[in-house]
Formats: sequence, structure tokens, C-alpha cells
Amino acid sequence: KMAIRELKVCLLGDTGVGKSSIVCRFVQDHFDHNISPTIGASFLTKTMPCGNELHKFLIWDTAGQERFHSLAPMYYRGSAAAVIVYDITKLDSFHTLKKWVKELKEHGPEDIVVAIAGNKNDLGDIREVPMKEAKEFAESIAAIFIETSARNAVNVEELFQKISKQIPPLENPEGDSNESFKLTRQPAPSTRRCC
Amino acid sequence: MGTVQLELVIANEAYLQYFVYCCSPSSRNFPSPAKASYSVFFQLIDTFALEIGELKKEMVQSSPTVDTELMDQQGLESEVSGVYLQSPCCGRVGLERDSGYDSLRRRMSVLDRLTQTHPVWLLLAVSEQEAIHILLKQPPGVFLVRKSAALQRKVLSVRVREDESGAAISHFPVRENQYTFSLEGSGISFADLFRLVAFHCISRDVLPFTLKLPEAIASAKTQKELEEVAQLGAGRFWDSALCSQGRSSPRPRRPLSRTLSPQRTYRNREDSQQRQAGTHCDSAPPTLRPQTSPASFHLERRHSSGPLCIVNPLFIQTHRHHHHCEDGLSPYAVKSDNGPEKALKTSVIQVSDHLLDKIKLNSKSQPRPPRPPPPRSMPRRRPAPPPPGPPAATTRPKRMPEAIAATAKQRQSSYKRPAPPRPPMGSKHGGPSKTASSPIPVPSNLPPPRPKKPDLEDQRCHIALDDETIAKALSRAKLSPCQPPPAAPADILLEDNSGSLSVPKERGRQRLSDTSMSTSSSDSLEYSQSPGFSLGLAASPSREDEDDGEEDEDEDYGVGLEADLEMRLRPSFKAQRRKVGVSLGGGSFILPRGLKGQFRKVSGMLSSLVTPERRAVKRIAELSRDKSSYFGSLVQDYISFVQENRGCHTSGMDFLQTLRQFMTQMKAYLRQSSELNPPIESLIPEDQIDQVLEKAMHKCVLKPLKSDIEVALHDFQVSSGAWQQLKENLALAKTKKPQELGVDGAVPPDPMAVEKIRHKFLRMRKVYSPEKKVSLLLRVCKLIYTIMQDNSGRMYGADDFLPMLTYVVAQCDMPQLDTEIQYMMELLDPSLLQGEGGYYLTSAYGAMALIKNFQEEQAARVLSSEARNTLHQWHYRRTAQRSVPSVDDFQNYLRVALQEVDMGCTAKTLVVHPYTTTEEVCSLCAYKFNIPDPENYALFLVTQETSQQLAPDTHPQRIKAELHSRPQTQTFHFLYRKVPNLHLCIPADMHNGNCLS
Repeated sequence: KMAIRELKVCLLGDTGVGKSSIVCRFVQDHFDHNISPTIGASFLTKTMPCGNELHKFLIWDTAGQERFHSLAPMYYRGSAAAVIVYDITKLDSFHTLKKWVKELKEHGPEDIVVAIAGNKNDLGDIREVPMKEAKEFAESIAAIFIETSARNAVNVEELFQKISKQIPPLENPEGDSNESFKLTRQPAPSTRRCC
Repeated sequence: MGTVQLELVIANEAYLQYFVYCCSPSSRNFPSPAKASYSVFFQLIDTFALEIGELKKEMVQSSPTVDTELMDQQGLESEVSGVYLQSPCCGRVGLERDSGYDSLRRRMSVLDRLTQTHPVWLLLAVSEQEAIHILLKQPPGVFLVRKSAALQRKVLSVRVREDESGAAISHFPVRENQYTFSLEGSGISFADLFRLVAFHCISRDVLPFTLKLPEAIASAKTQKELEEVAQLGAGRFWDSALCSQGRSSPRPRRPLSRTLSPQRTYRNREDSQQRQAGTHCDSAPPTLRPQTSPASFHLERRHSSGPLCIVNPLFIQTHRHHHHCEDGLSPYAVKSDNGPEKALKTSVIQVSDHLLDKIKLNSKSQPRPPRPPPPRSMPRRRPAPPPPGPPAATTRPKRMPEAIAATAKQRQSSYKRPAPPRPPMGSKHGGPSKTASSPIPVPSNLPPPRPKKPDLEDQRCHIALDDETIAKALSRAKLSPCQPPPAAPADILLEDNSGSLSVPKERGRQRLSDTSMSTSSSDSLEYSQSPGFSLGLAASPSREDEDDGEEDEDEDYGVGLEADLEMRLRPSFKAQRRKVGVSLGGGSFILPRGLKGQFRKVSGMLSSLVTPERRAVKRIAELSRDKSSYFGSLVQDYISFVQENRGCHTSGMDFLQTLRQFMTQMKAYLRQSSELNPPIESLIPEDQIDQVLEKAMHKCVLKPLKSDIEVALHDFQVSSGAWQQLKENLALAKTKKPQELGVDGAVPPDPMAVEKIRHKFLRMRKVYSPEKKVSLLLRVCKLIYTIMQDNSGRMYGADDFLPMLTYVVAQCDMPQLDTEIQYMMELLDPSLLQGEGGYYLTSAYGAMALIKNFQEEQAARVLSSEARNTLHQWHYRRTAQRSVPSVDDFQNYLRVALQEVDMGCTAKTLVVHPYTTTEEVCSLCAYKFNIPDPENYALFLVTQETSQQLAPDTHPQRIKAELHSRPQTQTFHFLYRKVPNLHLCIPADMHNGNCLS
């Protein structure tokens, strides 16, 4: 019997790096060529099997524009995982990523799972961020690393699978240890429904 | 023959509540703009009128789904009047009104037990196989509620006895109406799923026998124990020994209990031993005594017998009248504009809280009387409960007033039991006994009115609702058959203030006719089932009313002809009103003054009158203030963000869009996450959920931010210079005569009327809900129309209206209206932009634009195109959110058109998940479109040039996603239609999802 487990995930990163496209690809397997900038944040969900659990991702896709920066904490604060996205063709976006990592360290939940996604890897010929550099950085902070292409549907599912695997299996609801439930009032029963 | 629907909401108490809703949409056409133009300025007006006309067309056309869906689903219940008889909850004075589900009580009713432990049995995500797997290990009667993927409906799955039908598990689909839940085939409907299940734990109705709570839930003695059961969650609960079959098996020890200390457990056991030894201890919580129910069960286990339900005398009473109207004799008959063929009668018994609360588990000192045997012979048998699986597409849920009545009457006559010593059901029949003096005949042997200060607790201790009680109630209900039907009921009006109680007949009629002549639109259709007049109680407002006090005050303003407009816009608010009216097509009767006092007296305990919707909104609002919850912290953080970061927005519009986006996303979050507990699907019928969430978001977000938003919008205006310019132009426009503003012929409102309108605008500014604002705007517009017509005695169209609105707006001299309009335009729920709301909003925008541009007459043409563009962009932007598929659409919705040779196309939006196969979609279509021969139909993907039949194992949502992700999306539709030639085409036309690439 599989239990459904809700995982709150938050996407962060510079504007235009493809956060919404990644989510769009993940959730609906669809790519929109002219997607407009996110306002505030968008909410999407997708359920995926993981081991003998079902993981229901509750995804907050935040706006990358600087003016919405101060909204981000409210979304990552209760998250089990954060996906920080940069654009491999824009060095600046990689710098922004580093700022996000720092901010998460300082203000994010303690055991939040961090994943770094280098998006637009279909545009390898105009790459500005070497994969090696990004990978090493990710390792240095014990983050998941993956390069993705929302456009070509490369590694998007894998990104979320990796996150799933990093989430400790929920054996003992008495423990209530899981991060994603920290902020919810009713621990086990509400977040865990049989299916 | 009119269409009459009587919905009876009955319980064992006597305070009746009548809701009558009468709606008969009719259309009002706006003539296309005339071609009269006098100056550039007037041309501009024309352009607007044209523009608005076009927009209106688009708006109205773009929502056919709603219409057809409604017509279909609710069928004839719309444009109908209905009566609810609802009794108040007398059980708990002001205790747990809305929190209802978690308040600690000394005694736990079935309803309490169910609500506490819903994680165990309310398993919406469980599949049929899993449900069967769980239930097979359970004794007959044990159940769970899940959601059927194929039916797209909730289903009550019940363990039955294998020897009866072969199948060990039966599935009973749940029907969701606009306001209620009921089992398919049953005439009894409930405010929410919990009440539905609780009721069926006591009365089987259409089930083969009553439901049985799992042992651990039934025998739990404390709140704590229930909580622990709930904490287990379904998975471990059903696997554990907790729900072992053995009735007499001891309650499971606590591998699960970390909260219960050993001593405590021990004490509990002691308690139960005591009880079993017969020493009744009043303070001890009663338990379900396992012996009682099964004993009575076996008598009822005749699968084939018809529905069995508890029927209240009042029900029979009303039902009798109902029959009269069937015969065409009744004064109740309400003429309906459309569809004389659609005569429909529905009687719904709605069971209110306290009935269920009363169903206490008896303790020894109150030996439960044996249940009377079920009727041996039924004069008219109803068909057996629907078989599991999708019901035959052709059989619409049968409405069965007759059947119920037959059952009721039959039972009534078959029992002549002596009355039990205490008359629990009747003990509170003070209300109707008063009405006995009214034309509605009421059993004459009712007990006296309840004492002023009833010792409710005491009563509750002694009340045991069982068949004895029912039999008693039934016997009381026996009426002399020759008692004539009321001559002229019923137009009850209870004013909330001590003012006049009597309301002339004409008023009821007036309202009806008002309703029928009012503008038709998707809005009005959408709400056509809403209670038009509600009979609430003359009430001291409850605490939560005070919370909303200001707004409620607002709502009570505006009567007469405005009321029906509002009624169609905001059914729920109407229902909350403490104004009261029942009209059943003419007659009227007035509740005696004394009774009114009664009503007022009990109003404090009327928690059950709080509509489920209101309850849900309040729950969400509470959660939003709880910073320790995820949702609450999001909302509170957002509120602080808005208050502190005004600078991050570029314009008022940008600011409002961010707000709108936040509310929309939070709604999605609430729907998708499990944070709402119990899940909202169990409290609110599916098609109402969005509306309820929208309302809740207004309360959580817009209410606390109202003044901040106003200030911010004003600041944006001032800083852009628009404010100053607007003020100047407004002052200038105010000096103009109506003719100078393009008014042609119609007589404008006099200063008094303008003052009245101004007052309405001021009130509009006070409310925070965009929906309410728009409804107030509609009132103004309607008032202007009425004045125009009254003053000249002829009808006017849109091209006459816009100049007049401009004139009125100018006269009102309220520059703040500009931001008000912006507020509504940006924040109104997109679904409400279709129809009247959007239409008049656009008109108001047009009027404002005309005033803003008033000075520059020469430049008018240029400006007009600017304003037009703005309008166009706005309309596109706001409605595009709907037409451009959002992720949610992709994931969950699919629009399918039914193509019939002779009927053309009807489209419906279906809930279709990405993994739903074409086969499943087809069976859903067959059900939704009511197709008698689904085997001859198939799902087709139609593009401009191609049409291909989809194979049963393909996934329509995937196909849709694939099509949408192409760089150039071509238009395509999913069409459900007859396979042209079944035998020849299938092999050739088989396609897989990938055939599209």
C-alpha cells in the first residue's frame, strides 16, 4: 500500500533562467516558447512514485525578478527542498545562484534539500558556465547537481527524482521529523493519506 | 405545469426554516448601438457602446459550458422554487459553531466520531481495488469514502455480505448538488459528507443496511482515543488489529498510545467495566454498545427492500401539499417560464446537526428500545440500490418524493406503538406548534413549546434517537386525511427587526416578477438555483456575524428591486440574511409575533444554520491567521510584504495583478495540499469549491489589506498626475447638462436620486470583496435603468445607458471611483468577468474614460482608440488566463464537445487526469452527456483538417499537452460523437497518442 507524502519544493533563481519552464515540463510535459515572467509565485503539483511511497510535490515557482526577491522567503521557509536554477549561457545567473545558496544557508530551514539545476543545456554552444565549475560548487555545499533542458525535456524528471531520493523515507510518523511537515499543524494524518 | 422543487430540510426539531428560491432567467437584449452621432465626443460614446457590445457578446458566448452544464446537472432544479425546512441546532448553545469538528465534548456522537477520524475512512485518493482490499477484511457495514476515477465522483464503498449479491463490496455513488451531498437514488441530502455518513450509520435509506463504524472508532471513549486512531492514518489503521472483526474483542492496547499513560488506559477500562456492570455514571462518556446495533441489523438485511429512512412528520406534512401541487390544485405551484415539460418534484430531507448529535450511544441506564422491525411489505418498492460502477448512463438520478412519502406513510400506518415515556423528537417542537394556527396544518398533538431555558445538557443525556422515537414521530404525524390543504400559504416573512412582520402577498409576487424580468446572463443562470429568499431567524447576530458586521450591514441595505439582482449574484449572502421570506407562488402566511420571539431566543444556538460554505470560509480565515500553519504563515508573510514593499510595484495595475496572482495561487494550494483538515471536498460540493475558496481569499487577504490597497492605488494615481487631472475633469463634467454628455431623450435622475446613487457608490467603496463591489455596481446600474424607464416609460438600451451612466458618475463627483473600478477589474474572479459583472464593469470603465477625456474634445478620437486598446488588453489579459491553458487545466481538465447529428454541439469541461485513458473519458462522457448507447460513441481529436478516433488506451491529456507544446499550436477539439460506421471504421481509425507526431 502506498502512502502519499507531500513535499513542498520551491524554485529560486534569476529571472529568465527557466524556472517556470522546468516546472511546466515536469508537471505537464509541455514547453511554452513565449512564457511570460512569473508574477509573485505560481503553485503547481505533481505526484511521483518513490520507493513504496508516492511523493506529491507541492511546487512553488517563484518570480525571479529582483523586485519580488523579498517574497521568496515565505515560500522557501516551509519547503523540504529548494531547486536553484541558473542559465548555463549566463554567467550572471550563476552568481545569483550563489547568493541564493547563501541566503538559504542563513535563513532557510536547516535541513532543506538543495538542488542546483543548470538549465538550457540545449544551448551548449553559447555556454558561459562550465559544467565542472558548477558541479564542484554543488559538491562543496552538498547539493544535488544536474544540467537540464526544459525545452528538450532533458533531466527534468531526473531532477525531481533525485530530490525524492534525498528525502528520508517516512517510517515513523511519531517522529514528525520531516521538514516539510514542520510548519503544518497536524503532523502525520494530514500529510499522509493512504491510497 | 410549473416546476416545483421542494427541498425539505427536516430534523426532529421544530424551528423551521424555509428557503425559497425562485428564479426564472429571461433575457434582456441590448439593442445594437444606433448610429447617431453629433460630435466627436458623441462618436466616442458610440465607439464605447459598440466596444462594450462586442465585449459583451464575447463574454456571453464564451461561457456555454457553464450553461449547459448547469442545465444538465442540476437539471430542472434550476428555475424552480424550493423549500427547506430546517431546524436549528438546539444541542449546543454557542459552543462550537463553526469549529464544530474539534471541540471537545463530553459525549461523542457518531458525527463527532466520524469527523475526528476522517483520515481513516475518508480516503479520496484510494482506488477501487484498494478499497476492496481494505474492506474485505471487515465485517459487513464497514465502509469508506473514496473518489472514483471513472465516475469522477465520490463513492461510498461498503462491505456487504457476500452471500447476497456475490460481490462483497458495494459502491454507492455520492451525488453533489449545489449545496448538498446525497447518495445516488436517495432523497435525503446533507450539508456535508460527514453528516451523510453519520446519518447512514443510523438509517440505511438506500443502503442494504446501516453503516457500521470500525470497532475502534465506535468504542473510543475519549477524544484522545479518537485522535490516536486518526493519527494512525488509513494505512496503519486498517492493517492494525484496531479494526478487528470481533465485536467483543477488547479494545486494542496501546502500541499506538504514547499519550495515554498506562494508568489512564486502566482507568478507562475500569470505566467501561463499570458501565457494563450497570453502574451508570453520568459523566462517563457513553459508548456504542456493540450489541445493540447488530441486533437490529439483521432484520433489515433484506437487500431488495426499498429505501428506509427516518421521516419527520413535518416532511410528510409538506409533502402532502406537494402532492396537491402535482394535482394542479395547489397554491404552491410556481409557474416557470421555461419548459413546462420539466415538471419535477424533488423532496429532499436534509438532516441537521443535532439530529445526528442526538444519536448518542446509549448507556445502560437508558436502555435502548428495540428497533421496530422494518416494514414487512412495501406497497411500492424502489429499485435496489444502484449497482457498483458507473450507473447506466440513461438513468438520471431518480427523484422520489412519492417513494419517500409512500414509505413514510406506509410506516406511519404500520406502527401504532405506544409513545415512549419521553418524546425526544417532539420535545422541541415549539416552533411548528405555533404555526399550527397558520394555514399549514400541523399535527395537533404536539407537545407544548419548549421551556424558555431548556436544560439542553440534560435533554441531551436523555435523548436517544432510535426507531422508537421515529415511530413516535410518525405516529404524531398522523393527520386526519380530510384536513384541507392550506388555502393560501405560504409567504412567510420574518423581518429581523421588530418592525412589521406582515408582508403583503403582493410583495412576494413582486419579487417573483422582478426576478423574471431581470437581465439574463451567465451570471444569472449560474446562480439560478440559489435561494432567493431565505428564511433565517430574527436573530441577534451570532459572533461570527459580528466579525463581518460591517459587511452584513451593507448587505441588508438595499431592498426591493435590488434584492433580486443581488440574490442572483450572491446566493450565499442572501442565505445568511436574517430576513425571511417564503413564497410559494402566491399565498402568504405570517408567523405569529410570539413565535418570532422564539426564533430570536434560540438564535444563539443556531450554529447549524451557518451554511457549510460560511463554515468553510471561516475555517480558512482562521487558518490564515495561524502563523504556525504553513498556509497561515504564507498569508501573513504576504500581508506584511504588501504593507512593507509597496515600492516593488510599477503601477496600480501591476500591484493589483500581484495580489490577484497570490490569491489564485493560494486557492490552488488549498485545493491541492492536505492542509485543510478535513478536506474541503468533504464539506463543499465539488462545483462550489472554487467559489468558496475565492470568498475565503477575499477575507484572508483583501480584508486585512483593504486600506493599504486603497492608499497604494491612490498614491500611484497622485504620483502619475492622473489624480489631479481626473479631479479637474470631473469638476468640469459635473457642470455639463445631460445632453452635453450624449444623453438623448432619457430623463436623468433628479438630485435626490443622484444622492442615493452616490450613497451606493460610497457603500461600494466600503466593502473589500470585488464580488460585492461589482454587485453593488450592478445595483447602481439597475437603478439608473429603472429611473430612465420610470421617467419616460420606455425601455432603453446600452447606447442610451452609457451616456447616462457618465452623467451620473459626473454628478456624483467621486474621483475615487476610478481606483474602485480598477480594483474590481483586476481582482474580480475571472469567472465572474463573463456576463453582467464584466459588462457593467466595462461600462463603468467607459464612463470614467469619457470623463477623463472630456476636456480634449478634439483629441477624442485618438483617446478613444487608446481607451479601447486598454479595454481590449484588459479583457484579453483577464480572460486569457482562462483560455490559455494553465497548468491546472492541463493536469485536470479536458473540454469535450458532444456532437449530435440533430442537436449540434454541446461542450463540457470534464475533470480528466493526465493518466486517464480515452476509454475512461468515454465512459465519463457517456455519463455526463447522458448517452443511452455509449458503445456507439467514441472520442475524436478534431483539428482543422483532420479527425481521428482515439484508441481506448491513449491518454487525452497527454495528447493535449503534446499539441500545446508545439511551437505553433493549431486549434483542436476533443469531440465525443457517434462512430459513423462502427464495424468498418474501428480498425482503420485506431490511433495511438503518438500518431499525432
